Amino acid sequence: MRVTDRMMFERAVREGGLSRGRLDEATQRAASGVRVAHPKDDPGAAGMISMEQARAERLDAIATTAGRASDELQAADGALSEVANAIARARELAVQLSSSTYSAAERVSGAKEVQGLIQSVVASLNVKVGGRYVLAGTSDGAAPFTGLTLDAFGNVDPATGAYAGDGNVRQVEIAPGLLQDASVRADVAVKGAGGGVDVLATLIALANALQANDPALAGSTLGDLARGTEQVATARGTGGAAMAGLDGAVAANQAARDDAKGRVSSLADADAIQAATDLALAARALDAALTATARSFQLTLLDKL
Amino acid sequence: MTDLLRILTSGAASLAAQTAATATASHNLENAATPGYARQRVALEATLPAERVGNAYIGRGAILGTVTQARDRFLEAQLPAAYGQAARSSAGAETLEAVHALDPETPGGLGDALSGFYSALRQLSQNGSDPGLRQAAVGAARSLALAFNRTRQGLEDARTGVDAKVAGSVSEVNELARSVASLNRDIRAARAGGSGEPNDLLDARQKAVDRLAELTGASPVPTSEGDVSLFLPGGAALVTSMTASSLAAAADPANGGHLALQLSVGGAAVSAAPGGQLGGLLDARDGALREAVNGIDQLAYDLAGAVNAAHGAGVDLDGNPGLALFDPVGAAGGAAARIAVNGSISANARLLAAASAGGGAGDARNALALIATETQALSGGLDATGALAQVTSAFGASASRLAAAAEMDAALRGNLESMRESYSGVSIDEELIEMQKAQRAYQAITKVIQTSSEMFDTLLQLK
Repeated sequence: MRVTDRMMFERAVREGGLSRGRLDEATQRAASGVRVAHPKDDPGAAGMISMEQARAERLDAIATTAGRASDELQAADGALSEVANAIARARELAVQLSSSTYSAAERVSGAKEVQGLIQSVVASLNVKVGGRYVLAGTSDGAAPFTGLTLDAFGNVDPATGAYAGDGNVRQVEIAPGLLQDASVRADVAVKGAGGGVDVLATLIALANALQANDPALAGSTLGDLARGTEQVATARGTGGAAMAGLDGAVAANQAARDDAKGRVSSLADADAIQAATDLALAARALDAALTATARSFQLTLLDKL
Repeated sequence: MTDLLRILTSGAASLAAQTAATATASHNLENAATPGYARQRVALEATLPAERVGNAYIGRGAILGTVTQARDRFLEAQLPAAYGQAARSSAGAETLEAVHALDPETPGGLGDALSGFYSALRQLSQNGSDPGLRQAAVGAARSLALAFNRTRQGLEDARTGVDAKVAGSVSEVNELARSVASLNRDIRAARAGGSGEPNDLLDARQKAVDRLAELTGASPVPTSEGDVSLFLPGGAALVTSMTASSLAAAADPANGGHLALQLSVGGAAVSAAPGGQLGGLLDARDGALREAVNGIDQLAYDLAGAVNAAHGAGVDLDGNPGLALFDPVGAAGGAAARIAVNGSISANARLLAAASAGGGAGDARNALALIATETQALSGGLDATGALAQVTSAFGASASRLAAAAEMDAALRGNLESMRESYSGVSIDEELIEMQKAQRAYQAITKVIQTSSEMFDTLLQLK
């Protein structure tokens, strides 16, 4: 093939430019660690990257939300635990003070203790997490249970423990598109909505019976207190199961999120060893191109004549 | 005596022929770096007729015969198409490569904003009455709307940038077309003068034809009169012998005001579909870029509709029915540019309808319904993330295909150019040798003249 000087110069420009372009690309890839910077770099991967990124963020948000819901259930369980303890103590007092061997003064003293239990239970049930009353259903902006008030005779006002929340159950997403209950219905667990026992009303009845020195009436509360114990235990069991579900969801979503992030990384990130190898190769190729070009330029008849 | 005078006369003519050979080599050397230049070759010929002396013929030296160009018509016929195709794919690839609105890992991009919006709704679903979470959700909706606006603007800016390039190229095309028509006239006149081939005019015309092929994909067609006519893809004549048509760019209302090309032929305007660089630019503008814009518009339209429907089914913090979260976007076309969060909700996050009717203040069931729109199938059968991925992949596939085509077309063009250069280009070594050859001949002829002169002197000294 006949080779002209212009061919040599044009080849030098073209090959040098190509080699420099490849070196720049390899440098960029090695420096940034990014394999797919532009959709054209790998069209299929580019689309999948945005989908996997969205998936990772979705799973992360679900895990975070489920984790917070679990924390709230934990707080609700703590409150119900207080209720269970209060019922247990109230049962002891009811058994003890319904006996005829105790005096009126001792029963009044017992009434004071039950009043204290009621106050403690109400305070526990009005537990707040993140500025929200977690046992109020979805009407969570105000305390769901009315505080303890006494009348002029030292009796507990029947309005004490009234429930101002609602019967709605909150739900959270535990997997994309899958919802789970994430709150305890205090109106069911404590107030007996749907045919159960109103635990607070029973405690009030016990307190007022003791205040009135009526051992028989005090003794009559034992049955409801026993059912209340079971009712609260059932609610705690339901809440515990939900909590376990949420905790499992947190772990599962975090694992899935990490998997999605791994997929994003494998799709989008450059392999460090490959990037370094490519960079060295591109640098070597450019060096060779420049050397060959310089050598070809040196050979001309102009220097010989 | 007569023979000696003939030697002197033919020596002078031969000197002129060697001078022409040197001048041609010099011309070649001076144009060694001129694009499109085809080397010229001097053909020396023995002077005819030879002189008959007795029974023999004695030659009368050398004269300049022709100066021809080294041109391979087969290669040159392939080059305009190669120029046009390479310029077309290269212009398209470069245009798409410069667009970064759909880069998959751009922080703050549409994908990020979409995920951020639904993450904020998920946070809200856990505590529907929290003012901070409500504000964050409204903020994320605003970010999503802005991301749609920015992404579409980025794509639309690229389309507008193409218009600017097209407008700039049109004047060059018209100038070159006029130049080809004018050169056709000049070449015809030069040939009519009978002074041989006007090589440099042919070079100039070839250069203009090549550039026009690169810009418009125009195919050259030689005529029987020795002219070159140029036809755009589709058959519209850009140059017919000595008449040049005029290309004009005008806003096309049917294409969002982007420029459309028209060819004025004899006062009548016809729609032009050029190839070459202009074709590549228009391909990118009205192909991958427009498809991406349409895809983003459709996504914005569908998503706003789905979110607004879900939002309208809920109630705000005060129990009032939910307003549209996004202002009405109208038709799908341009939806991504118009999408914006309802000003009332933007100013007052209490209006965010996170609750369902009948729920309390902390009810977030409607937030869950809003979250469900993330995986809701939109008009194209895919959910929002899938639709965005489809737009990104389709754009990337177009850009990748064009980049590969550009590389292949550039290699083909480079190969043809190398072959043409190999045949027609100037080799400095060769030209130096030609000059040496002519110089040696010149020296030898002057020796002949000197010898003849001495012979004359000898003859004149006879007594």
